[in-house]
Amino acid sequence: MPKAAGKTPGELTGKNRIQQFRYGGSEVNVPGSSPKTSKRMANEALFLKPRNLVILKTAGQLSVEDITTMVLCKPKLLPLKSLTLEKLEKMQQAAQDTIRQQEMAEKERQTTH
Amino acid sequence: MASEMEPLLLAWSYFRRRKFQLCADLCTQMLEKSPYDQEPDPELPVSQAVWILKARALTEMVYVDEIDVNQEGIAEMMLDENAIAQVPRPGTSLKLPGTNQMGGPSPAVRPVTQTGRPITGFLRPSTQSGRPGTMEQAIRTPRTAYTARPITSSSGRFVRLGTASMLTSPDGPFINLSRLNLTKYAQKPKLAKALFEYIFHHENDVKTALDLAALSTEHSQFKDWWWKVQIGKCYYRLGMYREAEKQFKSALKQQEMVDTFLYLAKVYISLDQPVTALNLYKQGLDKFPGEVTLLCGIARIYEEMNNISSAAEYYKEVLKQDNTHVEAIACIGSNHFYSDQPEVALRFYRRLLQMGVYNCQLFNNLGLCCFYAQQYDMTLTSFERALSLAENEEEAADVWYNLGHVAVGIGDTNLAHQCFRLALVNNNNHAEAYNNLAVLEMRKGHVEQARALLQTASSLAPHMYEPHFNFATISDKIGDLQRSYVAAQKSEAAFPDHVDTQHLIKQLKQHFAML
Repeated sequence: MPKAAGKTPGELTGKNRIQQFRYGGSEVNVPGSSPKTSKRMANEALFLKPRNLVILKTAGQLSVEDITTMVLCKPKLLPLKSLTLEKLEKMQQAAQDTIRQQEMAEKERQTTH
Repeated sequence: MASEMEPLLLAWSYFRRRKFQLCADLCTQMLEKSPYDQEPDPELPVSQAVWILKARALTEMVYVDEIDVNQEGIAEMMLDENAIAQVPRPGTSLKLPGTNQMGGPSPAVRPVTQTGRPITGFLRPSTQSGRPGTMEQAIRTPRTAYTARPITSSSGRFVRLGTASMLTSPDGPFINLSRLNLTKYAQKPKLAKALFEYIFHHENDVKTALDLAALSTEHSQFKDWWWKVQIGKCYYRLGMYREAEKQFKSALKQQEMVDTFLYLAKVYISLDQPVTALNLYKQGLDKFPGEVTLLCGIARIYEEMNNISSAAEYYKEVLKQDNTHVEAIACIGSNHFYSDQPEVALRFYRRLLQMGVYNCQLFNNLGLCCFYAQQYDMTLTSFERALSLAENEEEAADVWYNLGHVAVGIGDTNLAHQCFRLALVNNNNHAEAYNNLAVLEMRKGHVEQARALLQTASSLAPHMYEPHFNFATISDKIGDLQRSYVAAQKSEAAFPDHVDTQHLIKQLKQHFAML
C-alpha cells in the first residue's frame, strides 16, 4: 500500500473510504514489488475525489489510497471434452433413455390391463 | 445387391464400416438359422465365425479406451490404503495441490477447481472430479458436480452401463457367462481373445474376465504378453494395484508396448506416485521417441501437480509431433488466456474450429477470447452460437455466466444482472454467478440481498476465495467484525497470497487488539 507523505496510513483509512467498486483489478501479490502498478494508479486517479490524491511536488509521484473492493469471480473458459468422455456420456444417456422407455411401456401395460 | 450377398461377408463388411448394430442384427439372424447353442459348434466353422463377429461387434459398440478410464469412488479415495505416505512431501503427491512456485497463474486470475488446482482446458473422465482432500468434500461433491460420485468404483458408471446393456436386449444376454466352460475356451487362443474383450467391455464382469485370462495365460505357458496386460487390467479394475503392477512389468519384459507403459503409469498414478509415473513415461519415451500419448501423459501429471509451465512445455512438445492434438491445443489455449494473452489463445481456439470441433464449449471460449482481445464484432455471435449449441442446462448456465462478464466489461450492469440471473435459472448451483450477482447488488446498495447471495455462494463452493472475501468486506463495512474475521480467514485458507485479505485480517486484528 503506497503511503502518502506526511500522513500515516491509519489516518487515511476509514476517513476517506470511497463507496466505489472497481472491476478487473489485479489482486496478484507479486513478491518484491508493490501490488499496484503506476498505470492502474493513474487510471484510478481519474475517478477519485481530489482530496484523496497526494501529489509530491518534488518527486512528481502520485500516491493513491488503497481501497478494498469486492471481487468478481473470473470468466470461465469451458474445458473441451475428450472423445472418451463424450462417448461415455452418450452411452449413459442412451441407456437411461431405453430404461425410461421400458418403464413407460411397462406402466402403460399395467394401466391397460 | 445386399440381398444376394453372402450374409457373413455382408456382416463382416458392416463391421469394417463400423455399422455395429446392423452387423450384430445380421449375425443374430444367421445364428438363429444355423443350429445354435450357447457355444458354437466346432464342426461348423461358419457359425463359429459369426459368433465371434457378433461378440466383437457388441464389444465395439460400448468400447471405451481403458487407458482413459479412471473413475474413483468415495470409498477408494477416502479409505485409500495404497498410498505410501499419508503425509507426503510436497511435489511427490497428487493429493496436495502443490504450492504455486512454478509461476502458474494465481487464483485471482485463473479460477480453481474444488481441490485448489487451476481449471484445465480439457476434460477427461479422470479430471472430472479431482481428488477431494477431506471426507466432507468428497461427500459434498454431488451437490455441485454434475455427475454424482459413486460410492465405490464397483458401483460406478461402468457397472451401470453393463446392466443397462443387458436390459436392452430382449432375449436376454448374447452369451450366458455363468454357463461358459472357460477352460475349453482358454485352449482356443483366437476365440478366447474376442471372448475376453466381450466379457470385459460389454458385460463388465471383471471377475469372469480375470478367470478366463488366468486360464489362457496358463495355456500359453505365460509367454503371451497380451494376456498379462489383460490380467493387469482386471486387477486394476478390482483395485489390486500391486498385483496389476507385477503383471504389467512382466508384460513389458516380454514385449515393450506403448499401451503397457500407459497402463503401468496409470497404476502408479492410482498409487499416488506421480514421480514414479513420470520416470516411467520418460523411460517409455527412450524406447518410443516422440510418442504422443506418453508426452501427453507427462503433461497431464505436471498439470495435476500444479506445475503449469512444465505442463505447457510438454503440451508444446505434443503439438510438435501431432499438430491436431485437441487436448494439447485446448490446454495451451486456456493457459495463454489466463496469462493475459487472449489474442494468442484466440489463435489456438480458432485452430480447433478449423479442425472441425464444433460445440458449445469452443464457441464460448472463442467468444471470451474475442472480447478480451478486443475483437468485439465476433463476441456476441460466438456466444449466440454457443447458446444454441448448449446440450444441457449446465452448459447454458456457464455461457450466460460468461456473457455476464462481457456485460460487466461494457458497463451494462442491467444486462449483467440479467445474464447472471439467467445463469442461475439454468443452474441453481452456480456459485460464481451468485457471487457476481452479490457484487452487483452491493453496487445498488442492497446489502442484505448481497449478504444472502454471498452466503449461498460460499456454502456452494467453499474452495473459492471470492465469496468469503466479499462477505468479509461487507461485514466489515456494516460493523460485524466477528463475522468479517471468520470469513476473511476462510478466504485466506482458499487463497493465502491474496493481498487484500491479508490486509483486512491485519486491520481486524488491530481493531480487536484495541478492544
